[in-house]
Amino acid sequence: MTMPTNHNEESKYAASARAFRANVTRDLNNEELRENFRGAMDYLMDKRKGAFSDINELETLRQQCKLIKQRCLLKLPYLLAQLEKNLEANGIKVHWAETTNDANEIIAQLIARKKGKSVVKGKSMVSEETALNDYLEAKNVECLESDMGEYIVQLAKEHPSHIIMPAIHQNKKQVADLFSENIEGFTHTTDVDALIGEGRRVLREKFCHADVGVSGVNFAVAETGTLCLVENEGNGRMCTTVPNLHIAITGIEKVIEFLDDVPPLLSLLTRSATGQIISTYVNMISSPRKEGEKDGPEEVHLVLLDNGRSQAFADEELRQTLQCIRCGACMNHCPVYTRIGGHAYGTVYPGPIGKMVSPHMLGLEATTNLPSASTLCGACGEVCPVKIPIPKLLIRLRAENVKAKGSAPKVMKGEGSGRKKVEASVWKIWSFMHKHPFIYNSSMWFATRFRALLPSKIGVWTSVRSAPKIARNTLHERVKTRKHNKSNYTNQI
Amino acid sequence: MTVNIQQQSKIAKSTILAKLTKQVSGADYTKLPIEQGYQYPEISQQAHIDKFVSLLEANHAQVIKLDETNIANVVSKELENRGISTLLYGKNARYCDQIIKIEPGIKAQAFDFSLTKKQQYKDKLFNDTPASITSSHSAIAATGSIVLWPTINEPRTLSLVPPVHFVIVDATSLHSDFASLISAQQWQNNLPTNVVLVSGPSKTADIQQTLAYGAHGPKELIVLLLNS
Repeated sequence: MTMPTNHNEESKYAASARAFRANVTRDLNNEELRENFRGAMDYLMDKRKGAFSDINELETLRQQCKLIKQRCLLKLPYLLAQLEKNLEANGIKVHWAETTNDANEIIAQLIARKKGKSVVKGKSMVSEETALNDYLEAKNVECLESDMGEYIVQLAKEHPSHIIMPAIHQNKKQVADLFSENIEGFTHTTDVDALIGEGRRVLREKFCHADVGVSGVNFAVAETGTLCLVENEGNGRMCTTVPNLHIAITGIEKVIEFLDDVPPLLSLLTRSATGQIISTYVNMISSPRKEGEKDGPEEVHLVLLDNGRSQAFADEELRQTLQCIRCGACMNHCPVYTRIGGHAYGTVYPGPIGKMVSPHMLGLEATTNLPSASTLCGACGEVCPVKIPIPKLLIRLRAENVKAKGSAPKVMKGEGSGRKKVEASVWKIWSFMHKHPFIYNSSMWFATRFRALLPSKIGVWTSVRSAPKIARNTLHERVKTRKHNKSNYTNQI
Repeated sequence: MTVNIQQQSKIAKSTILAKLTKQVSGADYTKLPIEQGYQYPEISQQAHIDKFVSLLEANHAQVIKLDETNIANVVSKELENRGISTLLYGKNARYCDQIIKIEPGIKAQAFDFSLTKKQQYKDKLFNDTPASITSSHSAIAATGSIVLWPTINEPRTLSLVPPVHFVIVDATSLHSDFASLISAQQWQNNLPTNVVLVSGPSKTADIQQTLAYGAHGPKELIVLLLNS
């Protein structure tokens, strides 16, 4: 299997993922940021808990949805072909892209063909993945995010720090400051209703005049050729209804077989994400404007993006990564995410899900730090609505990260990037020792007898902890002594 | 040089599908595990209605129970309370003979223009249309959702752009949950251009988890519930 690598065109996310350790130090020292995340995660965990009062219902649904997604993945190539056939029959054009750059180029040309100059965007993480805004702006097409959180993040020239609540890292004072700096005539206030009102005023003007709407997709139904979008604000409906051209972009794993698959998945998605039994709007689009209809886009397009997904698909264990329905529950419950925040990861998708998918998108070389940025506490796996064994997959990625280069079969781009000579030798010695009792016992004897020689400062470890102390005797010795004493005691009786 | 996106897409399609097919070509689809769904307890139609109303109200929608013949009266009063004097409705749509009775106190305007023709119609809809009224296709008790099924008479933007949206729901069209609605009406055979489930007014919690209504869609959702 050959993997295309082009370091000249490495994405900005790869570069920021490489800086993971520096990012973590930066963000851990930002008290306001940590407070914002702590508050938000507590809120979201509470909301989810409140939405699943019946544990039997939750577990039945999780099992059902896991099996639905596994069935759809097992049939993926056929479902994608069926989806394309049914969408095209409905009048929706389908485009395929292997890389983020190809996807951007398709979208840019579709816009240029209609002489589009302004784009309004509904929330789409896949378009973040492709950095579509940068691409279009370089071609002089104005690209405006219309989800309130995304709009805030765009004004701040940042990226979403959470896949469901993009501006979760900012508090209302920070948003008010941002609006003051960027929106003419805005009177500074920290009243949330007023802030949202201001966003509404600015963005409705844009909806009214935009040439193009870009959106993501939550579920693409193969059976009917239908794109389902889930949202609360109404901006998704605006983007897909008002402009004359609608372009949706999604990953190839979002296709599901039947319309009947939607209700259980939808129920788990919104409850896991924000604790809502349903989102305010569930928008199901099956065709462009038909003859005689008075509104709706004249053209609807769907761009299907691979970007490393087929690599994950090729390994049966890693394929489970693609079951993800992007609810964000794993990050809401992650102790690491809560502390370091979404930007520290440097990738589009942060948190446990990000650590799982980003290595496929950006390669393990750029994301070498991510699989081990976990305590393996297991919370993510327990809340995952489609039962992805996230901790297990992270351990697998750790193994891929340090495996000897050139060892077959090749599984991932950048595998073996985290392998260090010293570490690898240490493990070789460790393994040798454990296979040879004499060497093992004598080195243990030395280690315990000369334990005083262990330095009190051991690099990073002792910067926040006290140094470990080796015991006076080995465990084997202690057990032996104990057995001896015990048999003496029994003999006396 | 401009990339030929059609050609590129064609190549991408065959590459992606070949990669995927290679992995699952031997799969046996006759031996898939059974996907057991959850059996929700059956409740009475009245309990469904109560649940539907309480969920909508919890989501900040206003629910008014009334008879069909009272629609004009009730809507007129609600609009007067808000200082609104015009109402956009769907021409030839269901209940429109009741809606036009709202004249002359309130000016009832029919959605008889096409947004695709001129920018001025979009401007009018966004800037000069304070309220609208639509019918609904059906409703869902388990989630407190109203199913909008836009048509030529009642276009998609009629229920989306005006800040106040009245929606007429017939309680006899209420289904227990989304799955049973899809199967009862065999949606997979007859989906229109667009279907929307609406469960309250537009809202967001994107600023510091504080709930605010009227993000981009209607700020108010007023449900007129018939036959309850």
